[in-house]
Amino acid sequence: MGVLDLFKRAAAPVSRRLGPVSRRFGAHKPEKADLFGDDFQKKLETLAIVSRRVFAGRQRAERRTKKKGSGIEFADHRDYTAGDDFRSVDWNIYQRFGRLLVRLYEEEEDLSIYFIVDCSTSMGFGDGKKFDQARRLAAALAYVGLANLDRVTIVAATDEIVSRMPTTRGKGRIFKVFDFLRRIHCDGQTGLGDSLKTFVAQHKRRGLAVLISDLYDPAGFEAGINVLRYNKFEPYVLHIVDPAEAHPTLKGDVRIYDCETGEEREVTVTAKVLERMERAWNEYKDDIERFCTKNQVPYFAADVDVPFDELVLGVFRRGGFLR
Amino acid sequence: MLFAGLPFATLVTIAAVAGGLTTVFYILKLRRRPVAVPFSRIWERILRDKEATSWWSRLKRLLSLLLQLALLSLLILALGDPRLAGSLVQGRNVVVLVDASASMKARDVDPTRIDRAKAEVKKLVRGLGGTDRMLIARMDAAVMPLSTMTGEMGDLDVAVDQLRATDTRADVKRGLRFALDSLRGLSKPEIVLVSDGAVGDPKALSENLDFEGVEVRYVPVGKSGKNVAVTGFSVRRYPLDKARYEVMLEVTNTNEEPVDVELTLIGDGQIVDVSRLSLQGNERLPRFYKDLAGASRTLEAKIKLATGESDDLSADDHAFALMPERRRARVLVVTPGNTYLEATLLLDEYLDVTSVSPAKYPPAGNFDVTVFDGVAPPVAPNTGGSLYLNPPDEGGPVKHAKAITEFGFDVWDKKHPIVRWMSMGDIQVAKGFSFKPEKEDKVIGASEAGPILVAGRRSGRKFVALGFDPRDSDFVLRVAWPLFVLNTINDFIEEDTSYVSSYFTGEVWNIPAPSGAEVATLKAPDGKTHQIPIKEGRAVYLGDQAGFYELTVKTEPEATTSMFAANLSNIDESRIKPSETLELGGKPAALPSGFDPGMRREIWLYLLLAAVIVSTIEWFTYHKRVTV
Repeated sequence: MGVLDLFKRAAAPVSRRLGPVSRRFGAHKPEKADLFGDDFQKKLETLAIVSRRVFAGRQRAERRTKKKGSGIEFADHRDYTAGDDFRSVDWNIYQRFGRLLVRLYEEEEDLSIYFIVDCSTSMGFGDGKKFDQARRLAAALAYVGLANLDRVTIVAATDEIVSRMPTTRGKGRIFKVFDFLRRIHCDGQTGLGDSLKTFVAQHKRRGLAVLISDLYDPAGFEAGINVLRYNKFEPYVLHIVDPAEAHPTLKGDVRIYDCETGEEREVTVTAKVLERMERAWNEYKDDIERFCTKNQVPYFAADVDVPFDELVLGVFRRGGFLR
Repeated sequence: MLFAGLPFATLVTIAAVAGGLTTVFYILKLRRRPVAVPFSRIWERILRDKEATSWWSRLKRLLSLLLQLALLSLLILALGDPRLAGSLVQGRNVVVLVDASASMKARDVDPTRIDRAKAEVKKLVRGLGGTDRMLIARMDAAVMPLSTMTGEMGDLDVAVDQLRATDTRADVKRGLRFALDSLRGLSKPEIVLVSDGAVGDPKALSENLDFEGVEVRYVPVGKSGKNVAVTGFSVRRYPLDKARYEVMLEVTNTNEEPVDVELTLIGDGQIVDVSRLSLQGNERLPRFYKDLAGASRTLEAKIKLATGESDDLSADDHAFALMPERRRARVLVVTPGNTYLEATLLLDEYLDVTSVSPAKYPPAGNFDVTVFDGVAPPVAPNTGGSLYLNPPDEGGPVKHAKAITEFGFDVWDKKHPIVRWMSMGDIQVAKGFSFKPEKEDKVIGASEAGPILVAGRRSGRKFVALGFDPRDSDFVLRVAWPLFVLNTINDFIEEDTSYVSSYFTGEVWNIPAPSGAEVATLKAPDGKTHQIPIKEGRAVYLGDQAGFYELTVKTEPEATTSMFAANLSNIDESRIKPSETLELGGKPAALPSGFDPGMRREIWLYLLLAAVIVSTIEWFTYHKRVTV
């Protein structure tokens, strides 16, 4: 054990006692490196071109939403109710089946894409790789959205909406996105259920809601996703995962505490416990994926060790982001 | 089962306290290291599973505690030194005498004989039985016990490590007497002599010693004995020309074969003479170097084989000697006129002579020696030692007994430094007187009529009184006269004519030291310093190293430092041919037996071993997280 380790061990109780203060000031610092440098921007342009080529013919200035309305493309039927426009009654159906059904059309409008970036302390845990990856992905996907003339909004959430970038469109506004993402930092407890309730109340216009988070929510990862689902947003879960968290470098008798809630437990870490830890971590991840699949919510696990451009391409292939 | 160590009651107390403390410490939780985790809920899942098996955890912790208590019990039992009642038989009592004389420095075995001897003694220690006890003693000119009579291997090992060879002869008889005294009244006594057998006359070893009932064993060390030695080396200044000196040395070939050696004489660190000597087998070759000059203090003689090889023993290839220090003595002569006396004092250029008539005594200045010629005035403080020639009865240091005529020296002390090597019996005296010396006075010479030459002290000052006027005798015409005067002066200024140019190692040295001091600091040739006592103006020390020594005595106003030399110069020690057998107590001493390693039957050793095994298990299970 080196002198530095001894110092860290000695300082550990002090830093714990300082708690929120040390977390506020000692946590991930956004200005440690320029996340969105020249290399990043070059890759963004490539990704935008790739997205157009892969999804050729499906690009739109008029992107269809699930919202039914006055478009020209037939979407569905529903029973006639008093007050409906007679012009939309499908008389052919009435003639064949004797039922009054109204024809529904997809309403054509530009799509709103919301990026909800988790800014809780757990995202900046360790060396902040998760938070960096989350911001890079948010920036990259936002650029693709802006390039497709979608309305892009970014919010930073913990257990409340910490910060919000006003809705914008056009790829020229990407620098505004960079500025916003550079400004936000990790601080606070995860509470996606509460924060997203605020989010849906503030944003009446429904659209694609990309939730970028590690989903370490003490209230359960389902809460946030369900709020989006129940309020007719189209949730897209971008799960930021750090495999190192499945293999903590702990040994012996320790008192672990949650970096957000401060909850403590005494553990004797053995090889078996570490094995169980890996299994539990994978189960937690599988639970999230299973939940999303079951509820038809697109899910994509973003590994912090994989370059962001590869992840973006994966998001494209996975579908759900581009239609 | 008996406890030979701590008593049972004490063991129980220790067990209760230590066991209680162990249990308390085990129950007390250690402060754990706090570690942050990103999401504690995942850990909770694991811990929920773990809690389901908590009874097993508790059991494992209990197992750990039991291991600790077992470890403690083993250690406490070991403290008690338990022994089976049947094993408490009387063991042997062994005195091991290890020859540490100069011959044990021989390199005929690798690395030296003393190292081989140490290895042999260690084997004996390893072979001690559970109830055997041993005492290890170093035997050179003296006998030094290095341990008590003990069965503790650790103590005996320490004693063996302290063994070293010295530059002295081996006094085996003294060693055997010590061993017999140590073993008197003890069961199964045994003496083991570890030596090269180069101990002089073997028959003389056992004279007047009673080995009845004592087993005597002999462990021979060494295999060959090729050696040439300087067995004598001394130097002296010429009495009448102290700038010059003569050297006597003796070189001895202890081998059967002839050998050529190169002899180098070194004075004050500079080579004075190099010569090549041819010695026949067992030849002792004396050499004299006369009328040498150049060196003022130290002299060394070194020999080496002419072939360039070294012999087996280097300790006796180098000899040391020191010449007496020369200093100018201030001599006052109180005389109405004495040509013979004045002429004698001119012989020594290192004398500052002042002559005064009796009327002018005392003159100004301090003097080391005063010669009173036919007078005895009250002695002044600046007088120093006094030589009275024909002193008057009144005022003289010694009272006259009676007047005598036509006499001579019928008896004289031939060892006294004033008259040593002198022929006094030829002196004819016409008239004089005999003395009536006091009790403490020393009569150096006497005629039939009584003492005529007396030495002693008056008021702390030395004096010598001659009971006749030398001019009334033929003394002044003889060689003895100037020698007598100069020897007396030298004796007063402590420039002893019996000066020893070197001491012999292994003997008790009485080194002249300034009177008044009680302790002197002696710096040995190896650089170590020793505090040694001074008794009656002599520092007493048993020296065991050859070389130059420095003796420092704290006197007012400043410390006085003097040097002296010491040599082995012992032909018996230089004869290093080892002896395979040794006759002790009228029969050849046998090799040691019954010293087989692994014979110890001490249970505490096994308990300690078990404790080590248990602690290893505990360590293993702890680190493998079996018992936590």
